[in-house]
Amino acid sequence: MKDNPILRVATKILFAPTIVYGLYVQFHGDYGPGGGFQAGVIVAAAFVLHGLIFGIASTKKVAPPYIVNTLMAVGVLVYGGVGVASMLLGGLYLDYNVLATKPATGQHIGIILVEFGVGLTVASTVLALFYTFAGFDETRQKKMEPPHV
Amino acid sequence: MFDSVLLQVPILSTLISHWNYIIVVVLMMIGLFIVISSLNLVKKLVGLTLFQTSVFLLYISLGKLAGGTAPIITHSTYASQGEAVLYSNPLPHVLILTAIVVGVATTALGLALVLRIYTAFNSIEEDVLLAEKRQIELDDAKNKTKRHRA
Repeated sequence: MKDNPILRVATKILFAPTIVYGLYVQFHGDYGPGGGFQAGVIVAAAFVLHGLIFGIASTKKVAPPYIVNTLMAVGVLVYGGVGVASMLLGGLYLDYNVLATKPATGQHIGIILVEFGVGLTVASTVLALFYTFAGFDETRQKKMEPPHV
Repeated sequence: MFDSVLLQVPILSTLISHWNYIIVVVLMMIGLFIVISSLNLVKKLVGLTLFQTSVFLLYISLGKLAGGTAPIITHSTYASQGEAVLYSNPLPHVLILTAIVVGVATTALGLALVLRIYTAFNSIEEDVLLAEKRQIELDDAKNKTKRHRA
């Protein structure tokens, strides 16, 4: 699909707004419909579109697999880190009230950080799944090569 | 109107007022049909996912209340006037949020198994796989009888 000008131009136009919409869903999630899961999938969908049109090799240049694999763990770390931070500040695990001087502000900060962690993990996991399944052919060819005895 | 005439019939009125169940059952049967009828393993997975989605829809539509809001405590005028606030049941929705995530993981596992089958047999068509399996079993049986004779 690399040679179709309509698809190329449409992808270039859609790529950035899709990510921005994902961020909107992400940071609007505490008051409206949305949140980390949905936002993560939307952001990953932008990269999947990029991979479908420009080829998986160029997408791996935009979002290298080692960064994606790291972000998977970083998201969980952010989630757990918020919980541990609230414990260190004298509350219970994931007790947002102690994160700021006012409990309401603490709730805001806590839920946004936790959802950010969820979004990071979901986006990178979906992207890693896409890399694994779409990049299947090249790994298979590597395996098919005769082993040097 | 057309609706009001149909609503006079007891069974029809029940069906019409529970139209979400009809959509769920139709989607579920489409998914089941794909699973049974298609020989391609990836298409089978697509059918399974459709089946799963119909269950999600069932739970989500059960939890939704007409005119209900999100179950968040607000400083609205309702509470001060002592009126109850209508809200959708959050439990099925949260349950299905988890089920969707688990569904993604199981779909990925299924696709990985399909890939593994493809590397081993060079096909994901069920009839080809079954023929190959039968051939392998026949060969095994032949080898056994040879060993017995020797």
